[in-house]
Amino acid sequence: MAALSGWWDDFFFGTVMVLKVFAASLVLAVIFGLLGASAKLSRNRAAQVLAKAYTVVFRGTPELVVLLLFYFGTAVVLTRIAQIYDPQIKFVDVPPFWAGAIAIGLIVGAYMTETFRGAFMGVAHGQVEAAHALGLTKGQTFFYVRMPQMWRLALPNFGNHMLSIMKDTALISIVGLEEIVFVGQMATAVTHKPFLMFMTVALIYLAITTVITILTWWLERYANSHLERVR
Amino acid sequence: MNFDFNLILSSLPQIAAGLGITLKLMAYSTAIGLVLAVLILLMRISGRWYLTWPAMGYIYFLRGTPILVQIFIIYHGLPQLDFVRESVLWPVLREPFGCCVVALSLNSSAYISEILRGGVLGVDKGVNEAARALGLSAPQRFIYIVTPIAVRLALPAYSNEFISMMKATALASTVTLLDITGVARTIVSNTFAPFEIFIAAALIYLAMAWVFQVGFGKLEDYLGKYTKRGASA
Repeated sequence: MAALSGWWDDFFFGTVMVLKVFAASLVLAVIFGLLGASAKLSRNRAAQVLAKAYTVVFRGTPELVVLLLFYFGTAVVLTRIAQIYDPQIKFVDVPPFWAGAIAIGLIVGAYMTETFRGAFMGVAHGQVEAAHALGLTKGQTFFYVRMPQMWRLALPNFGNHMLSIMKDTALISIVGLEEIVFVGQMATAVTHKPFLMFMTVALIYLAITTVITILTWWLERYANSHLERVR
Repeated sequence: MNFDFNLILSSLPQIAAGLGITLKLMAYSTAIGLVLAVLILLMRISGRWYLTWPAMGYIYFLRGTPILVQIFIIYHGLPQLDFVRESVLWPVLREPFGCCVVALSLNSSAYISEILRGGVLGVDKGVNEAARALGLSAPQRFIYIVTPIAVRLALPAYSNEFISMMKATALASTVTLLDITGVARTIVSNTFAPFEIFIAAALIYLAMAWVFQVGFGKLEDYLGKYTKRGASA
């Protein structure tokens, strides 16, 4: 354990980085998921096909390939553009943070598309018709009738998607983001104690995923509290 | 920036050279992972705390940490420990391929044992009780009554896990293996045409995912054929 002593602050900042990239990816995944779900549910044929292609591609391709494609692909384009203005420039990239967040957001968004779509269809049709009969507008029906029931249906899957996002953040170290796996590699190079360092990384991840699991469990209990029987 | 469609086509055969390693990784990891998963499942549902708790700890750790970190612990980390280097497993753990198989097997076994547990718990209690009334012993009930039903119930979730595992094999490229992703990364570092090459790699993975999905769909139809309604009646 003595070997760890000089590395606590690096691991701390790495953890902060993981949490930041997690938050960014989560927001993006929810946005992509909502867009995908509304496209799949729309009557527009083109939107349906596009959304279908989106989910098939991003659920069937490894996360790492998407990330590498995104990071190096944008880097090549940006470098070419930059060289038009200044031929001296060798390499321009999207910051690994955003390349990673967008790649993970796109992948998990594809899974969320299905979750949101299922939750949307899980609300009984009679409720929507009742809202219509009461004279609620489409927007009102969505926010006051569908949403309060949808999130309860989506929650268990949503919790799993949050865990996937958290575990996928480890991949961004491959394109150079200074999060905890990256810190683990740096620390290994100096101390030659890879087992200790990567175990520390694993335990930090385990702690974060445990918190997410407990949070989801707690939210699920809250969401279903009205369904619980009186004891 | 000019996008070269021909480069996608011409790089496909080169990248497909990595297909062998990807498929080999999958075959070994699926087989070993399934055996481990059944062992962990039996421990988990044994009802004895000294078996249940280790199984739960195993599942908790492997499902709560990223697979990349697990590969790094096994590939970079284990050689730090002397007893690992002196153990019988060292010839396996010395090679990146062996490390990846071990990591993928352990990781998928944790997920699969939970999937199988869902299947076992989904078997109707009455069926088990009926078997008991007929005088079948506990092992007989598990093998002849519970397992066939549980397998059918667990299959859809298992096919998803199988495809997740296929995607996880891409991480083998981080420990120098030349699987599909590994070959693609090598070509990119030479040609610096990331769009074309990685899209070609993605196409191969997509084709594989499609084949497995169709295959599992067929298997589900086959195993569930007597549950279909109105076919003959």
